[in-house]
Amino acid sequence: MRSAWRDGERVRTVEIEPLAAGRYRVVVDGVPLELAVETLADGRLRLEGADGVTVAEVTAAGERRFVRLGRLDFVLRREDAARRGGAASQAGGLEAPMPGLVTRVLVVAGDAVRKGQPLVAIEAMKMEHLVRAPRAGRVKSVVARLGEMVDGGVQVVELDGEA
Amino acid sequence: MFRTVLIANRGEIARRIAGTLRVMGIRSVAVFSEADRGALHTRAADDALPIGAPEPGASYLRAEALLEAARRAGADAIHPGYGFLAENAAFAAAVEAAGLTFIGPTPEQVRTLGDKRSARALAERAGVPVVPGAEGADPAALQRAAKSLGLPVIVKAAFGGGGKGMQVVEREEDLGAALDSARRLAVSAFGDATLYLEKRLERARHVEVQIFGDGRGGAIHLFERDCTLQRRHQKVVEESPSPVLDERRRRALTDAAVALAREARYRGAGTAEFLLAPDGRFYFLEINTRLQVEHPVTEAVTGLDLVRLQLEVAAGGALPLRQEDVVRRGHAIEARLYAEDAAHGFLPQAGRAERVRWPSAPFVRVDAGIESGDAVPVHYDPILAKVIASGADRTAAIERLAAALDDTLVHGVITNLPFLRALARSREVAEGRFDTEWVEREFLAGFSALAMAPAPELALAAAALAERLLVAPGGTGRTGAEAVPDPFTTLGRWRLPGLG
Repeated sequence: MRSAWRDGERVRTVEIEPLAAGRYRVVVDGVPLELAVETLADGRLRLEGADGVTVAEVTAAGERRFVRLGRLDFVLRREDAARRGGAASQAGGLEAPMPGLVTRVLVVAGDAVRKGQPLVAIEAMKMEHLVRAPRAGRVKSVVARLGEMVDGGVQVVELDGEA
Repeated sequence: MFRTVLIANRGEIARRIAGTLRVMGIRSVAVFSEADRGALHTRAADDALPIGAPEPGASYLRAEALLEAARRAGADAIHPGYGFLAENAAFAAAVEAAGLTFIGPTPEQVRTLGDKRSARALAERAGVPVVPGAEGADPAALQRAAKSLGLPVIVKAAFGGGGKGMQVVEREEDLGAALDSARRLAVSAFGDATLYLEKRLERARHVEVQIFGDGRGGAIHLFERDCTLQRRHQKVVEESPSPVLDERRRRALTDAAVALAREARYRGAGTAEFLLAPDGRFYFLEINTRLQVEHPVTEAVTGLDLVRLQLEVAAGGALPLRQEDVVRRGHAIEARLYAEDAAHGFLPQAGRAERVRWPSAPFVRVDAGIESGDAVPVHYDPILAKVIASGADRTAAIERLAAALDDTLVHGVITNLPFLRALARSREVAEGRFDTEWVEREFLAGFSALAMAPAPELALAAAALAERLLVAPGGTGRTGAEAVPDPFTTLGRWRLPGLG
């Protein structure tokens, strides 16, 4: 079973191959691990490998997986699902960086914009964030509406390829 | 003493106030917006009443709704907490006009001290030095003032405390844009376009003094808090005592704070904020006319419950203790846990805190606004909790804080925990060598490199194995190919997307 995960700026792959009962060969980006896996109470996993025993705590939240190993936390995102989402990953910097309120819409469809030009302002928790044009282009459509609440990762402006 | 107190706030501070009311046998009434239905602060109070829509302007900032809730609850006093209407003179006046007690200073004091100009005039009367600055709403006049002060200057809203919307302007050509965006934020956050300019002192520390006044000219202090560790003028870690004050300077600073409180005939709890320059001179910044976020460090070193003191002063009109009764002991340090993605520009986060575990250890206190499964709404300040550790000395307190942050777990919403953990273990923090700009100037670069490092292979293996081995409640989808035999072990923890 193969899965892809977003880890910060990287996409990483994991392949799981069951061996004997409770034993798995897990290949992460080509690095093989052999693990004896036991599920504990409260959704925790006991992982025993060549380097010893680690208890992992994995929590699902949407497509995100919060993973605690010992005293460290990591946040991963199912990459296959992100691709399915389409708009967000293809928007290339034109998405709301966080959930918030659209407080200003600074362009209309047809506007030529230069790289870095502010397009839409989103405010959340008393912080204003500007969505800027990631490249020069022409505004194809403005998806966000003034006064609307948008989710993080939602595309707010569509930009045509070349202006 | 009051019989019923309405808490006009939310989150960790509303819950903390309810805790003291419970100890004192006073009935507590929480309020909640539609986004906070069932929130922890409503569960912590004896009663809870709805006050409106999620947007703060439709609920927590709506004075009529709060007064109506107080009337329905039969409250005889209102505690405003911090933020929202805590420093709104019109609200304080409306509370008193409704025949209730506002647990805070008089409306006139909120107005006077909330206005930088009159606060600075007060400091001058009390013989306390102030930072050179200017105030106004006219952009051209502000431009001229900035040039005569000399850059860099700090631009912020004249009304409303805290560092929200505060900007440092280094270059003359950036001044216009900074004034413009500060004015917009000032109007949206505080309803007033007046701005305040201040000369920026380089490499300064932020040290503040907790004061209590009886409203008749009597005042005491509860020593200082050092809040120098900041990011973009937002306090991140606070401690008491300050690691850089000797007894002579501490005395000078606390004397100045008490002089300010006496001059203002201040009533209740307040905080006199100062900048401490590298040469040891200090300058008055402002008085915050409310309970501070960081008040627990003062509680930890004095053994006093500041909310209790507020209630006693508000109910009795007298200070329940004398200056010589206030004794400081040991060291305490607090870290603010925010729903912010420290690895990506500290963008605020929202969602559901699916799994939360707070540290429990000797000398550790947690003031939290959430538990497992609680929502973190998009509409409010992203503070989730404060972790406070204390000890006989500073080193012991910092070590306990670092361990407590390690033991803290918040899954489901991204938090600034990795940032706090790294900060608590940094050498500069251990040595007390920092100023208010240090985090951004020096610490963040190293932290970002750390935050960008790839996760260990084992973390990815765990995520993928969990997908295969852990079953989602009621879910039949792509997970759970080899479901664990006991569904109760995961129930309520593991959710499919869209069901949470």
